[in-house]
Amino acid sequence: MEIKLEKLDEYRWLIPKTGPMRVPGLIYSNDALMKEVKEDQSLAQVANVATLPGIVGHSLAMPDIHWGYGFPIGGVAAFDLDEGIVSPGGVGYDINCGCRLMTTLLRADEIRPMTKDLISALFKNIPTGVGSTGPLHLSNKDEAGVAVQGAAWAVKKGFGSTEDLDKTEDHGAMDGADPSLLSERAMKRGKDQLGTLGSGNHFIEIQAVEKIYDGQKARAYNLFEGQVVIFIHTGSRGFGHQICDDFLKEMSRDALKESFDLPDRQLACARLKSDQGRRYLAAMACAANYAWANRQILMHWTHETLLKALSINPKELGMSLLYDVCHNIAKKELHTIGGKQVMLCIHRKGATRSLPPGHPLLSEVYRDVGQPVLIPGSMGTRSYVLAGAEGAMAQSFGSTCHGAGRVLSRTKANKMAKGRAIHRELEDIGIFVQSRGKRTLKEEMPEAYKDISQVVEVVHQAGLAQKVARLRPLGVIKG
Amino acid sequence: MGSDKPDFSLLDHTADMGILVRGTNLKNLFEEAAKSMMHVMLKGAQGGKTQTIKLSVTGNDLPDLMVRWLGEILYLFEGEKTVATDISVDAISPSYLDATVQTIPFDPSLHEILSEIKAVTYHQIEVAKKGERWEARIIFDL
Repeated sequence: MEIKLEKLDEYRWLIPKTGPMRVPGLIYSNDALMKEVKEDQSLAQVANVATLPGIVGHSLAMPDIHWGYGFPIGGVAAFDLDEGIVSPGGVGYDINCGCRLMTTLLRADEIRPMTKDLISALFKNIPTGVGSTGPLHLSNKDEAGVAVQGAAWAVKKGFGSTEDLDKTEDHGAMDGADPSLLSERAMKRGKDQLGTLGSGNHFIEIQAVEKIYDGQKARAYNLFEGQVVIFIHTGSRGFGHQICDDFLKEMSRDALKESFDLPDRQLACARLKSDQGRRYLAAMACAANYAWANRQILMHWTHETLLKALSINPKELGMSLLYDVCHNIAKKELHTIGGKQVMLCIHRKGATRSLPPGHPLLSEVYRDVGQPVLIPGSMGTRSYVLAGAEGAMAQSFGSTCHGAGRVLSRTKANKMAKGRAIHRELEDIGIFVQSRGKRTLKEEMPEAYKDISQVVEVVHQAGLAQKVARLRPLGVIKG
Repeated sequence: MGSDKPDFSLLDHTADMGILVRGTNLKNLFEEAAKSMMHVMLKGAQGGKTQTIKLSVTGNDLPDLMVRWLGEILYLFEGEKTVATDISVDAISPSYLDATVQTIPFDPSLHEILSEIKAVTYHQIEVAKKGERWEARIIFDL
């Protein structure tokens, strides 16, 4: 399908409203990134999302946009609560896939000789890999507790502290979660996957703060050059997948009855005001909360592992949560449309919330400085800490990018990596990697992703978020 | 996960992975699709106690039936930690199928996971007769 594009300025492209589109599409990008975007089908997906009932403003895409299923990855769409829909495919299978960043008092030059040992210790202690299960086995009651209380459940069980909740999006628990709506299969899959990393692009990375762009915000975030920080990227595991799958099947059947004229079946959806729409949001909240508990537990085990491996005390390590964000979610939020405050349902499918200073949803810790936005790179490339900016509220329903975004398919990456020892190539540039799956390193090699510095530059220049710090990987564990 | 490669080719997708499967008839197409998915996911030897299970799947139409059918085979792995080794469709209509599946317990020492398929998506799903043969296009979430 040929998609017409109009370049609005250096960082924005418009897909004019044509055919069944209810609103135009708007893509944040630059000339170099746009060349790659045109090569896959993600622009058609932006146009497809624009056809959904009750969509408000534009069907948006962030500069890390790439071809997903249904919604593009990097897609943001807002829906009117009366006329609009909620789409499980617009959230994704890995509900509340997200990131968490912890600061430490360690300096990179102090731990460099020990990086390999630290990575080995983390790899030993953190359950990783396909279908990985951990030492936790939840009773039905505990699983329901996780689904409703999220990160707070983990804190109550001794994983971390209540202060962590102030530094977690939505305080680590989404309201309205109702575990009684979950299928037997979802409950079964959630029982033994809490406190596991999973596979694919999920990771725990030891990083060094390489460059500070904004000293004032960096101080507020407790970041300094040369500092060791820890980045966790994972989500709701099989629990979230099953919930998405259950509701997609249900909505796919009912979308035909509702006579939604869907350009792609993966866009199956339900009206927000319908019983089905409400049930999905209540079930999705269970998975979102599971993911927050998961990252809270993984943070705790990372803390324990580092203390033991380095033989230091908690004060010396000084590990503290900087922030936790989700990037696969649908949320009801207040936004200003035509001068009026309107409650909308924002879908972020591979996009991060970006709240500016003073926003009422921010906890006091970051109210003056703005929400930390965590952008993971792929192993071998840089990650970024950004700060939420006013431009995001004006342009993108308080959203920005979520990562580098794939540019090579896994098949192509595998072919390109044939005969290469990716772990050795990374070791040559000072990055130690341990992974469970044989193909993971090849599929996730740095060349498989867009240039993250360009992705971040686009959102910075477009005013969707502000650069605060750049992080360089020292070691990675992957599934 | 039989030793013969089922009749399929891989489709390139930036984030995920797809397959284009061919079958001599509808029954054969659904069998080949399930075997292809297992072929993409896992390789390894037979081992452990074989179990025979009966599956009945309903769908709105053929594409929906395909997603739900492959979803059931995938759940045997994701949810039950078993590997489908022999897959036979006993009866099929555009909205219903009955199948007999042999499974063995998943054993990481015997089975190598090649690609973790996390879900069978509806994205660009197609099941259609092309000339004398049947074809299906399926995209997986990885």
